[in-house]
Amino acid sequence: MSQQERERRVHAVLQAARRLSDPRDPLGIEARRALPGATGLSGASVELSLVRHLETSVTSDDLGKLVTRAGSAPRVHVVLSANVFTGVVRAVALAVAAAPSVMVRPSSREAVLAPLLLRAITELGKEARFELIPTLEPAPGDHVHVYGRLETIAAIRVGCPADVTVRGHGPGFGIAVVDGATSEAALLAESLSWDIVPFDQRGCLSPRLAFVEGSRDDAERFASRLAVELDQREKEVPRGALSEEERRDRSLYRRTLQAVGQCHDGVASTVGLDLDPRAMFLPPTGRHLHVVRVASADEMERLLVPYRGAITCIGVTEKSSLAARFATLLPGARILPIGNMQRPPLDGPVDLREMV
Amino acid sequence: MNRDREERAELHARVRAFIDASEKGETPAESFDALGLAIARHQAEHVPAYRRLVAHRNEHPRDAASVRELPAVPTDAFRLTRIAAHPPSDDAALFRTSGTMSGTPGEHALSTTATYQAAALAWGRWALFFDAPAAMTAIALTPPRAHPLGNSSLHFMIQLFATEFARAVRYLQPWPDRLVDAAEFVEACATASRAAEPVIVMGASFAFVQVLDALGDERLALPEGSRIMHTGGFKGRSREVAPDELLSRMATTFAIPESAVVGEYGMTELSSQLYEGTLRAARGLPAPSARHGVFVAPPWLHVVAVDADKLRPVSEGEIGILRFEDLANVDSALVVQTADRGRCRGSTVELLGRLAGAPPRGCSLAVEELMGRP
Repeated sequence: MSQQERERRVHAVLQAARRLSDPRDPLGIEARRALPGATGLSGASVELSLVRHLETSVTSDDLGKLVTRAGSAPRVHVVLSANVFTGVVRAVALAVAAAPSVMVRPSSREAVLAPLLLRAITELGKEARFELIPTLEPAPGDHVHVYGRLETIAAIRVGCPADVTVRGHGPGFGIAVVDGATSEAALLAESLSWDIVPFDQRGCLSPRLAFVEGSRDDAERFASRLAVELDQREKEVPRGALSEEERRDRSLYRRTLQAVGQCHDGVASTVGLDLDPRAMFLPPTGRHLHVVRVASADEMERLLVPYRGAITCIGVTEKSSLAARFATLLPGARILPIGNMQRPPLDGPVDLREMV
Repeated sequence: MNRDREERAELHARVRAFIDASEKGETPAESFDALGLAIARHQAEHVPAYRRLVAHRNEHPRDAASVRELPAVPTDAFRLTRIAAHPPSDDAALFRTSGTMSGTPGEHALSTTATYQAAALAWGRWALFFDAPAAMTAIALTPPRAHPLGNSSLHFMIQLFATEFARAVRYLQPWPDRLVDAAEFVEACATASRAAEPVIVMGASFAFVQVLDALGDERLALPEGSRIMHTGGFKGRSREVAPDELLSRMATTFAIPESAVVGEYGMTELSSQLYEGTLRAARGLPAPSARHGVFVAPPWLHVVAVDADKLRPVSEGEIGILRFEDLANVDSALVVQTADRGRCRGSTVELLGRLAGAPPRGCSLAVEELMGRP
């Protein structure tokens, strides 16, 4: 395929996605009806994701990068994960940019958006059609894009013939860094809350940890403000149901932070604050953020060591002096403004760690 | 400071008296709740983390009528902060968790090991050494405590048992690429068998898996009266093996009855342990359970399953996550909350696996997956 053809195919996918994003389009209406049950997200959360987080356009610069990062293969097989249902669009866009023939195996738990996207593409008469498949049968030379758990990726890698390229997009999480902008704590807290809320924090870009570089008062102010903002978000975009495992982990996280530091128990969310961190704690998914106060960037680096390979995204302030340092420390992580951590440019896979 | 020390020492002495009376089948001089609440009041005053917890929850021990009403400290807290009523300079032991999940190990500081030892020996005697074979040989799939890895509470306990109950002991040192060298293990078993004395082999379950995998179909028949004590999960350090399969392979390889394979359940954050009552029951001695997978708690350790949302006790026999009320945890946290699932009946705990049908968490990372990445 030529560069132009690849780009045309990506545009076709995005045009179809616009139909799903549109609340007046029959396919958009169908998506809104089916997705809450399939994902466990609230209706408002599904709406937010479809309108704000589903990719529907791309700049020419980003498209060029996406096509380059997609690579080239005769056929691409895509194995989708659940929860971040909007990821289907980017996954298919990458696949159609790489190969003239694309096969998609939807998640067994969320099998709504991929068929709707296919219908939208088909109804638009576009050439970027793909095939929905129940099982994976790659042929030599094919590429397989796997989104999901490490065990899933490993199992598929083992099961594929040696001359099949498997590109794994595994789990991860985001961190936010608040430095040099303490006067804007309220604004930053509001922005960060909009990064935490989508997909009930089950996305690989979802922030789970926040570092406040500053005084203890700065950290306390930011944590309490964030708790207020998350409570406000709960009124606007209610969280969906949690699994028993998530509920258990929330209870344990809350109890742990009540002992270790400070804990803001919100209606649905939790903001934990550790002012004297000995180690990091990864809170459970479901809108819970662990905030630590650090005195220096060196201390932050020390705390991050065990988590380095798992960080997909770093949210920073406009005035952050640490962005360059993170680019070196975590070369695979995206560096994005706080408030836009869940809206990375459509310039390749969401998770760029495998590109490093 | 001296008053604090005296108070702590007095509490330790009272707990040891409780353990001693329980072991003798006597009624302790004070009730579990009376002693537990005294310990909790001490901890609310001297353990900063517990002070914060009871203040946040407005659940001070002075207002509680029983230990069951007290808030529990989750095991994760032991990794994030020091949970101790005494300063580091007074540490007599500092046990560390393996720390494999997130890099930083949890720590359990003790101001004295006397209470830990009393609890471990009393309940070890109940489950493993009740028949007190006069000449027993111990094989430990762990290094002695002087080893750099020797700050594990399991290593401490195994060494304690070997010292107290065995005539001879052989510690098997870990190698850079494996926990136990199979040839060294075979030689240790052969030496012990030549003495024709009962052998006790003690170690982590994952160490046994490595040994059994290395041995393949080889049989190492141990002398009559021999037994095995194994503990813990696999923690990514060996392949996962179903409990029934591990039990069967141990019994077959060492030519001992399955009842002589005794599982222990303990954790760094506790000072007391639980055991399967299989060996006792097989010898006709009373035991609340004779089943594998069901662990019996000593009288100074109460275990209750709690619900996932409020961490409140569920009805006896219902499944929940396990909360431990350990009188021997004088220096740290009397009540410890774990994420382990189980079912409690009387003094027994049936350990259960991961939540059935629990969905994966999407692409957001679970703590358990952390170590899977480079």
